[in-house]
Amino acid sequence: MSNQRKRLTGEREDEDDEDAEGIGEWERAYVDDRSWEELQEDESGLLRPIDNSAIYHAQYRRRLRMLSAAAAGTRIQKGLIRYLYIVIDFSRAAAEMDFRPSRIAVMAKHIEAFIREFFDQNPLSQIGLVSIKNGVAHTLTDLGGSPETHIKALMGKLEALGDSSLQNALELVNEHLSQVPSYGHREVLILYSALCTCDPGDIMETIQKCKKSKLRCSVIGLSAEMFICKHLCQETGGLYSVAVDEVHLKDLLLEHAPPPPAIAEFAIANLIKMGFPQRAAEGSMAICSCHKEVKIGAGYMCPRCKARVCDLPTECTICGLTLVSSPHLARSYHHLFPIAPFDEVPAFSSLNDSRRTLGKSCFGCQQSLIGTGNKPGPCVTCRKCKHYFCLDCDIYIHESLHNCPGCESIHRPKSVSLMEE
Amino acid sequence: MIFKIEDVTVYFPYDNIYPEQYEYMVELKRTLDAKGHCLLEMPTGTGKTIALLSLITSYRLSRPDSPIKLVYCTRTVHEMEKTLAELKVLHDYQVLHLGTQAKILAIGLSSRKNLCVNTKVLAAENRDSVDAACRKRTASWVRALSTENPNIELCDYFENYEKAAENALLPPGVYTLEDLRAFGKNRGWCPYFLARHMVQFANVIVYSYQYLLDPKVAGIISKELQKESVVVFDEAHNIDNVCIEALSVSVRRVTLEGANRNLNKIREEIDSVQLVGRSKATDAGRLRAEYNRLVEGLALRGDLSGGDQWLANPALPHDILKEAVPGNIRRAEHFVHVLRRLLQYLGVRLDTENVEKESPVSFVSSLNSQAGIEQKTLKFCYDRLQSLMLTLEITDTDEFLPIQTVCDFATLVGTYARGFSIIIEPYDERMPHIPDPILQLSCHDASLAIKPVFDRFQSVVITSGTLSPIDLYPRLLSFTPVVSRSFKMSMTRDCICPMVLTRGSDQLPVSTKFDMRSDPGVVRNYGKLLVEMVSIVPDGVVCFFVSYSYMDGIIATWNETGILKEIMQQKLVFIETQDVVETTLALDNYRRACDCGRGAVFFSVARGKVAEGIDFDRHYGRLVVMYGVPFQYTLSKILLARLEYLRDTFQIKEGDFLTFDALRQAAQCVGRVIRSKADYGMMIFADKRYSRHDKRSKLPGWILSHLRDAHLNLSTDMAIHIAREFLRKMAQPYDKTGTMGRKTLLTQEDLEKMAETGVQDMAY
Repeated sequence: MSNQRKRLTGEREDEDDEDAEGIGEWERAYVDDRSWEELQEDESGLLRPIDNSAIYHAQYRRRLRMLSAAAAGTRIQKGLIRYLYIVIDFSRAAAEMDFRPSRIAVMAKHIEAFIREFFDQNPLSQIGLVSIKNGVAHTLTDLGGSPETHIKALMGKLEALGDSSLQNALELVNEHLSQVPSYGHREVLILYSALCTCDPGDIMETIQKCKKSKLRCSVIGLSAEMFICKHLCQETGGLYSVAVDEVHLKDLLLEHAPPPPAIAEFAIANLIKMGFPQRAAEGSMAICSCHKEVKIGAGYMCPRCKARVCDLPTECTICGLTLVSSPHLARSYHHLFPIAPFDEVPAFSSLNDSRRTLGKSCFGCQQSLIGTGNKPGPCVTCRKCKHYFCLDCDIYIHESLHNCPGCESIHRPKSVSLMEE
Repeated sequence: MIFKIEDVTVYFPYDNIYPEQYEYMVELKRTLDAKGHCLLEMPTGTGKTIALLSLITSYRLSRPDSPIKLVYCTRTVHEMEKTLAELKVLHDYQVLHLGTQAKILAIGLSSRKNLCVNTKVLAAENRDSVDAACRKRTASWVRALSTENPNIELCDYFENYEKAAENALLPPGVYTLEDLRAFGKNRGWCPYFLARHMVQFANVIVYSYQYLLDPKVAGIISKELQKESVVVFDEAHNIDNVCIEALSVSVRRVTLEGANRNLNKIREEIDSVQLVGRSKATDAGRLRAEYNRLVEGLALRGDLSGGDQWLANPALPHDILKEAVPGNIRRAEHFVHVLRRLLQYLGVRLDTENVEKESPVSFVSSLNSQAGIEQKTLKFCYDRLQSLMLTLEITDTDEFLPIQTVCDFATLVGTYARGFSIIIEPYDERMPHIPDPILQLSCHDASLAIKPVFDRFQSVVITSGTLSPIDLYPRLLSFTPVVSRSFKMSMTRDCICPMVLTRGSDQLPVSTKFDMRSDPGVVRNYGKLLVEMVSIVPDGVVCFFVSYSYMDGIIATWNETGILKEIMQQKLVFIETQDVVETTLALDNYRRACDCGRGAVFFSVARGKVAEGIDFDRHYGRLVVMYGVPFQYTLSKILLARLEYLRDTFQIKEGDFLTFDALRQAAQCVGRVIRSKADYGMMIFADKRYSRHDKRSKLPGWILSHLRDAHLNLSTDMAIHIAREFLRKMAQPYDKTGTMGRKTLLTQEDLEKMAETGVQDMAY
């Protein structure tokens, strides 16, 4: 343990460098890995890897319950068109190595995953990237709908320097977001690794400004809870969380992918003009309006001004029309009608449950639900169709499929009435 | 919620109760039943005050035939206001459920400075001058004079109050100081005198320790309290020091000079009274009448009514009241002569070159042989002076403080043969070349001042967040408690993380032991610890050092070696000084830095003002570092004399007492960060001596129970690792009601269930 710390402090203290050199490569890998922490002793005294799946599932269920509790009763309107700025703190603290290989690398990796997931779940939304370095906030990318450009811009700028300033970042984002159309939901997601903020002015005023302009600020901390972040999130209605480890960080990030409930002021119905462009024929040549160069093949044509764009969804650079494809709309739809969370089946009572004995396997993947030692493993059941599912399927159904196989396989007329409900 | 504890129905103004609050009430109720005294230790942030108030008021309601009175003593005015505010909530709740029969009268009593509403009087800068300004307007002879001379200024509020006479009463209710002032202003009655008058009718009185412990004040304020009272000392971990201070006097050169001036003035007054007396019969008659009164004995004097109810004044043992004032000081001129001789003698004694230590007995005998003042005369000095000043109609009491101090000293020396010692030091230990002679009469026995309180009242409750080791307090204060218990805090999560740091990252031991404290390695390691900590702890960090001089030294070294600069890269640095205004400003800015996310470190001193009274809760204190063990200055003559006395009288070993005292200070310091259950914080004891069992075991139970064995012998790097993990864990959302058998919030049903099965089944 102390060896590892020495290696960490070695980054700052030159005299410790020799010490770190003294550790052999094999030893360092061992020390870094900390594999002994992932073992636990079972009843019979054998060492086993810690079984984390139950814990993760419990976490997942809590999250699900939280989300559905918010949606309980009435159907909550959700902001499907989101304008999200991701602020990444690249200050000195981001170079810390308590996440391996370093906070900055871990952040970049998971933001990449998040951006993809975000566009998958919110095809109508746009993202922009902002970084904080040396106490100043820089715009990495402007708002846009293409994951690739963001990821490329992000990966090119991986270095950590200087102080961090929350106020500068908020001011910058606020300025950018003041131009988005009123039906869009303004959000900021801040990945904050520093523990202090060196601001040029009164940050409380900036927070009030954000509150006034309906900017929903969420913060994910990487080391510890900070009062100002908590205050910011409380004031603007965002979420504040602190990551314990890498896996947790990923979960916390992905929590921000599904659209949040709409703020009451936005809840008025709004008509938005949209275009559904046609895909250009293979091999056709045209000057692309987004890259300003000649492109061959796969592209889309704006139905209003006939300009060519490369990716969907986007805004037509010529006439400003929002361009989407119908699958995008369809994919956003499930947020409005989520499947109710499944009930957990208590492990002990299930033995005498007659129906349980009938279906010993998961309805989704047909795997056996009997766990080790012939004991029934943990499983869940759908409230409507009463089918049993294993935990993996539970997560898959709620997070990816958005349809319950049990309910869908009930014969047609009934399922239609269910859908209409 | 309403529930029953044995035969008492308790009205508790909140819907949920912590299990330890419930147990606290049970123990308290047993104490009241037994009519005995008790010691209860419960960590701060668990709602001690409300538990106490709601049980005692409910107890009173359940025994309508023998109403008890609650006397609640707090240390500061701020705490007093907080207590009264809680009582208000409780009172509203009880009235809501029981109707008007639950109505009580509760008042807070404080000095004139806090209660006065007369703007002219309030213009005076300190407490004593406010008192004097008030007396100038309200003394009986001033008011008598003003009937002839309309130019003499009086206080309208007091006049109105006097006019209302017996009708000047407060309607039942709970009155904070603010409420009292508002009420007084509204009615035009003086709130201070009204409150003092209402003390005898009130059901709950909240005031400061001094009103019960200081013999000079207690005689005036608390003499009318009935025996069936429950006296509560809150935050009483320093009660022995308060008792000792109440009976200790120190005399300096300045005091003697002032006293001489006072005497001259008194002399002039006497002469003028006598001169005028030749022409006017009444004035000369005053001194004459006083003489006659004194012949008959103090007990018959109008303002000191003898009798059983009158609180046995510790400065004046009972027999003094029955004895007559000795003949040689009955006449005013004679008394002045005696005082003059006393001052001369004290002046001679102060001229000494060496440190002298003497017992009161030998002091009195040498005083007798050299100045011809005997012990009995000394004993009456204080009362004789009071009487003389009344007779001479002196109102500027603040100007006469020096002579009062000297008389106070004389009375104490004359009264007590044991438990005191007289120490004369020609210079301050730290500055040996500047002569600053001081003569100190120091009390060693805390039980002397508090004994009358224990004897007089039915139940005395001593309670605080840190009373460990709990068996030492009964010995120091010499009383036998019927209940002495230490409660743990039930927590939903491990929200405190105490650590003992014994080594720096280079594995060298760290300590503030005398021979090690200036070692550059130790200073550097202490600095590195802070540098590392400020980079991983968010918002506020508080550091406590053992003394001002040590703090100054270490900060200077850190500044030279650049450590301070490294700290300032992460957080702003604020330092406590001996100047109150400066410190207040520093604290204010510290809070602002914590609020706006900049982060700050506060350097403070154990036993200082900040360590005693300022909370660093929530983000204002996520980490507290206690550098070293805050032992008292062991070369101080007073401390040595006290240790000797404790060893001879109470069989308390010197080492034990010193450790106990140091550790309670340390616990007090680190306890500043946790003020409620939702809070969390880390505590680092940075000294290798804390890892020893004899030191560690004296920490309060609620800290010890979180001090894991693995955290007993840490080096800086290990502490950093633990801190990181802890902060991450604490930032996660948690369930407030507690899970898995560790119930930390009880509802009405839980309590009813518990009443059936017994408290013991409750899993902590």
